[in-house]
Amino acid sequence: MENQQNTIYLNIAGFSIMLYSKSDFELEEGYEPFISDKKTNEADITIRCFDDMPIWPFSQEELVFEAENEDQKFYSIFHARNDLGFLIYDQQNPGKVQQMAVLDKSFTKWMVFSKPNSENRLFPLKYPLGPIIMHYLTINSDAVMMHASCAFDGTQARLFTGFSGNGKSTISKLWSEAGNQIINDDRIIIRKEKDGYFVYNTPMYYKDISKRAPLGAIYLIRHSPENIMNELTGALAISKVMAFCIQNNFEKQFIQSRLNFFSDLCMHIPVCELGFVPDESVVNYVLAHEKGGDK
Amino acid sequence: MEIQSLYNLKSKFVAREVGNELILVPLTGNVAQMSEMFTMNETAKFIWENINEKTTVDELQNLMTETFDIDSKTASRDIENFLNHLEVMFLKK
Repeated sequence: MENQQNTIYLNIAGFSIMLYSKSDFELEEGYEPFISDKKTNEADITIRCFDDMPIWPFSQEELVFEAENEDQKFYSIFHARNDLGFLIYDQQNPGKVQQMAVLDKSFTKWMVFSKPNSENRLFPLKYPLGPIIMHYLTINSDAVMMHASCAFDGTQARLFTGFSGNGKSTISKLWSEAGNQIINDDRIIIRKEKDGYFVYNTPMYYKDISKRAPLGAIYLIRHSPENIMNELTGALAISKVMAFCIQNNFEKQFIQSRLNFFSDLCMHIPVCELGFVPDESVVNYVLAHEKGGDK
Repeated sequence: MEIQSLYNLKSKFVAREVGNELILVPLTGNVAQMSEMFTMNETAKFIWENINEKTTVDELQNLMTETFDIDSKTASRDIENFLNHLEVMFLKK
């Protein structure tokens, strides 16, 4: 950390993150509520930011993972010399590299290389690198990041997950209208802590305060002509919930740690499949039929 | 699917025992396959765990009749169903 001139501390899901650079850099507005004034030498991870991109030190033979869909590539991961290398692609300009990043074998030290934009502003955590870093933040601890929405009624949080289009945002809105606080409607982190499992929001593209709530139940949702719910247990519950966890399954240790986490989670938190009608009736239906609490 | 082909594929999965069931998660180099994981019941778990480099169908059949209260015809059918089921899963991948 020699001669660092600019340092920002973040607190995301209770993890301490230190970003530093010799150059000026900025974070998108969604990060602002997560900025911490706590100066610590014991951050969970450090992110060193550079304002240029080097010659990529990994070869094509070292490519281990690609995140892409039919339309575009999001990022590629390379593995060599105990480091992981990430090429992050610009979502507006297909094929153009937006950031290069290297993560050391302890999963605690990042180097992020990117170039200032046309207004000469440097955004090292520009999407999708920010969520990727948050995902790897969970690898070393009892935590996972999931595609899910989550509503908190003041006592317990209900987590709703499912395939894209299955109604995560819709059901959040319904619970919000019923007086619940929405932790987030798209992406959350779950942590196992001394007093149980807790759900946290993470920085999004919009500004929202940092939130934390005790997890009470998990619902695997889908649209349905009637409200219907059935509890899942054992291997089926674990595999169905884990399917919606953000994961890069090119290393056995990653999979093993996720399986361990979800096996314990599903022993303590009820998991139900929930077919729902997209109106306020689902809230009363869940309240009337759920078990709640630690199993 | 032949047993030897299955044995060769075993190293590409991470398994987790949950009671009498087994969860299999494939190692993958693509985010599209992230949600593809398999659960196996007690019989399938037994077959999976007893497939080794040189295992034959006859040996598996004998092991099953010794372990479970089933005849050799039922064991043979279970093994065949298991191999067919896996073949369909792997063809999907």
